[in-house]
Amino acid sequence: MIELRDVSRTYKRGADAIRALDHVTLDIDSGRFVALMGPSGSGKSTLLNIVAGLDRPDSGEVVVAGQKLPDMSEDELAAFRARHVGFVFQFFNLIPVLTARGNVELPLLLTHLGKAERRERALTALRIVGLEERAEHHPNELSGGEQQRVAIARAIVSDPEIVVADEPTGDLDAKNAVEILELLRALCTDFGKTVVMVTHDARAEAHVDIIHSLDKGVLADPEMAARA
Amino acid sequence: MLPLRYALGNLIARRTRTALTVGVIALVVLAISLFSGLVSSLRHTLVSTGSADTLVVLRKGSTNDGSSAVPLEAVKALRYFEGVARDSSDQPLASPELVVQPFFRTRQGGRENVLVRGVEPMALQVHRGITIVAGRMFEASRGEAIIGKSVADRYVGAELGSELVFGRSKWKVVGIFESGGSSLESETWVDARELAADSKRPVPYSGLRLRVAAGTDPDALARRIGDDPRWALDAMPETEYYDKQAESASIFYVIAIGLAVLTGIGATFGATNTLYAAVQARRAEIGTLRAIGFSRFSILTSFLIESLALALVGFLIGSVLAVGLGHLVSFLLGGIAFGASTFTTNVVELRVGPFDLAASLVLALSVGIAGGFFPALRAARLRPIEALRRG
Repeated sequence: MIELRDVSRTYKRGADAIRALDHVTLDIDSGRFVALMGPSGSGKSTLLNIVAGLDRPDSGEVVVAGQKLPDMSEDELAAFRARHVGFVFQFFNLIPVLTARGNVELPLLLTHLGKAERRERALTALRIVGLEERAEHHPNELSGGEQQRVAIARAIVSDPEIVVADEPTGDLDAKNAVEILELLRALCTDFGKTVVMVTHDARAEAHVDIIHSLDKGVLADPEMAARA
Repeated sequence: MLPLRYALGNLIARRTRTALTVGVIALVVLAISLFSGLVSSLRHTLVSTGSADTLVVLRKGSTNDGSSAVPLEAVKALRYFEGVARDSSDQPLASPELVVQPFFRTRQGGRENVLVRGVEPMALQVHRGITIVAGRMFEASRGEAIIGKSVADRYVGAELGSELVFGRSKWKVVGIFESGGSSLESETWVDARELAADSKRPVPYSGLRLRVAAGTDPDALARRIGDDPRWALDAMPETEYYDKQAESASIFYVIAIGLAVLTGIGATFGATNTLYAAVQARRAEIGTLRAIGFSRFSILTSFLIESLALALVGFLIGSVLAVGLGHLVSFLLGGIAFGASTFTTNVVELRVGPFDLAASLVLALSVGIAGGFFPALRAARLRPIEALRRG
């Protein structure tokens, strides 16, 4: 599903060049729940962005869902993300002026679905995350945990193969964090999604299949998580 | 494409900033509509006075009635020129006229030059569209006058049955006339011979109006009069004559355009500022939308729609205020006095019409597009990962 070969990425910060990824090679199979862990600045978010088609490597090959991402233009990458990738962010990133349903429907506006079908699918996605009855609430009327569930519904509504999550539990209390991890686990188990998650959260180990650790842009040998 | 409610919802969510920007645009629309309305009303007043098949005969070199004199022999001869129309009793439709510009006292205690036109009864047939709406036509040699609608009530004695004081005499107002909003409504008409005697003019007529007979080319008749070696006269269609008078309004158009550009630039800065702030505040949101797969074009359009919505609401508020204020001014003041190029006073009714509103709409939309474009471009150009980065 996801193949990275010898991928490097360097950022410039002022006069300094910072090597965020250093010859990283990584394969992620379909239907797995994978955690990327490591200290701040280790390159895990850069790796996630490259997998999701938000960033490009300086060198190396990236093939996701059968497509070579570095060869694509900006607009082709946008279309790739719309079709293949769902996003979950640390701070939920819901659009405040839209209701939960309006937020979940957003990715469907990039499809050819009619209004009624969009609405139906958005409600289905909200039902999967257990928030159907909150569909007409605005984000400021929802708790943090509920907002993250809406964000997960938005990530899966267009049925992408891959869901990327950047610190999805970083802004949640313990109870909600576990619920979100369980929900992401269920996306793999029940719906066959490949979930790639950047996290600092030690509780994640109990839910993911594999943990990849990064340090200074270098990938350590994969660590099979407790449940694998 | 992003839904319309996303763009509009954001405007509602940031109420104060939206209200301030809409307020600025509304003020610009108000100012420009009113000014443009005033200029078009002035032009309408002057231009609608003329008719293409009536010739104005003046002394060569004169630009208006006030500075002209036409000899009595010329008046007598020109009446019977071939091509001059006749009425049902075979009288030539020719109106010799004397124009003087005395001061009238306004009710507010000021003084204004008013055009007093000495005419013969035939004038009512030669000038098109004159209707006596109250009272009757004056009778010769009885010190009577009729006054235009705009004169009535503006000056001391300017009402039916009262006496106007100008020149060396008192004139009893026996009628009030309308002429479809033209500048004739700012005039007072009396008997030509009486006026000549009162003003002690050696030549009784300053000009002559001739109605051209059907089938006669007005320009050809005008050329024949101009080429006649006996008198040094010029003739031109009335429309052309009043077009020249209306040139004084053109400078106001230049001022209106200048004002529109300056206030428009001010409002554009306001709109730009609002939207730059919106882009800054919504970086993460824009990053999210780009990550989800929305194209740069979708982001650009959505911000432009926000900007155009600001402009449209500003236009709606401004134009309603302009039309309302226009009516209020007309109701309270009865019109606005303009000095014409003849130094007499034209009273213009302030009307904000479709043209003025269309001009304001174009201005408001330009402000919307110009003010929104660069912020929208900045939003569209944000790279998703940079936009998503916090702090």
